[in-house]
Amino acid sequence: MEARELNKILAAYDTKLDKKLSLNVASFKSINLDKSEKRTQSILKYRIIEIVVFSLLALFMGNYIASNWTQPHLAISGIIVGVFTLIALAGSIGQVTLLKQIDFAKPIVDIRKKIELVNTHGLLFVKLMFLSTPIWWAYVVVASDSLFNIDLYANMDVDFVLKYLMVNALLIIPLVWFLYKLTYKNLHITWVRKTIGLFVGTKTMKALEFLKDIKEFES
Amino acid sequence: MMANKKEQFIKTLDEHKKIIYKIVNSYCQNKEDRKDLEQEIIIQLWKSFDKYDSNYKYSTWMYRIALNVAISFYRKEKKWSVKNDFYNEESIFKIEEDTSEEQTELNYHLKLLQEFIHNLNELNKALMLLYLEEKSYEEISEVLGISKTNVATKISRIKLKLKKEFQNI
Repeated sequence: MEARELNKILAAYDTKLDKKLSLNVASFKSINLDKSEKRTQSILKYRIIEIVVFSLLALFMGNYIASNWTQPHLAISGIIVGVFTLIALAGSIGQVTLLKQIDFAKPIVDIRKKIELVNTHGLLFVKLMFLSTPIWWAYVVVASDSLFNIDLYANMDVDFVLKYLMVNALLIIPLVWFLYKLTYKNLHITWVRKTIGLFVGTKTMKALEFLKDIKEFES
Repeated sequence: MMANKKEQFIKTLDEHKKIIYKIVNSYCQNKEDRKDLEQEIIIQLWKSFDKYDSNYKYSTWMYRIALNVAISFYRKEKKWSVKNDFYNEESIFKIEEDTSEEQTELNYHLKLLQEFIHNLNELNKALMLLYLEEKSYEEISEVLGISKTNVATKISRIKLKLKKEFQNI
């Protein structure tokens, strides 16, 4: 089929629609035009709850660090947990900002990116979970101190703690590289796809795949 | 005042009904899906009606909203029906049937074209629709949010694909 023939078909189709297509006003009037976008509202609600929870946690951690400033092991553990809380808080604030920027009258690629970035929020928590593995002890130290008033560090062998810290410190570099790789841009790498697929749901995976499609479409 | 706004909206919708009709038919094969998508597009157009930016053509604004809603709907639902009942609409947009020989041939070619469009991904589908509507590169670039050069490259690829697909017709 040549372009000329295609244009002829489309012109005939247009003529047909001009003649035969009509707006069913009665049907139009039955639509509830003020129907709210339940899904967007519900995502927004969850993100706002996250912001409140992480803000409270950040305040608590700030207070915890200040109160334990003279005990380095507790202060350092508090700082670590505090930093993770702030990353999660920033992620949730970023999500609310994205949700507020979604306007369907804006260019398609821009809006699709924002929507899919909202849908990939789960990946942030997967990354934080991985990043927490070498310093999981910080959570335990803070939790046991705050909830049960037990200083775990005081009951541990200093040599063991030092060796443990060294091994975990060494783990940070490969872990950062690993997390850097866990992005939609690397979905073509089998292990990246499998790892992400293992920890996130279908919705997040589909959103990541679509972000990759958008990137290809833009290039 | 609200009644006036609604009347104005109906008038605008009537003037541009072909845009919605074509988008809905390109993104949904199933009749029920089409009815739902029509409604979603109309609701979104109504919500954005006051915010229309007169720097753009009305059709550009409408394409953006309708395509954005269609892509969201397509990604959310994806309830594909094997049966293509493309011309049996009984919803907001009514179309009279015409069984003349000329129309049957037109429907056959349109069905082939529709199938070709269905096989494209969401973004290329939008690009293809705009290309078939003979929109300028500038307008396509404004609707999609990619550069004019990129639009030109993608259109030349689509043309090749179309030619290959329909060479035996």
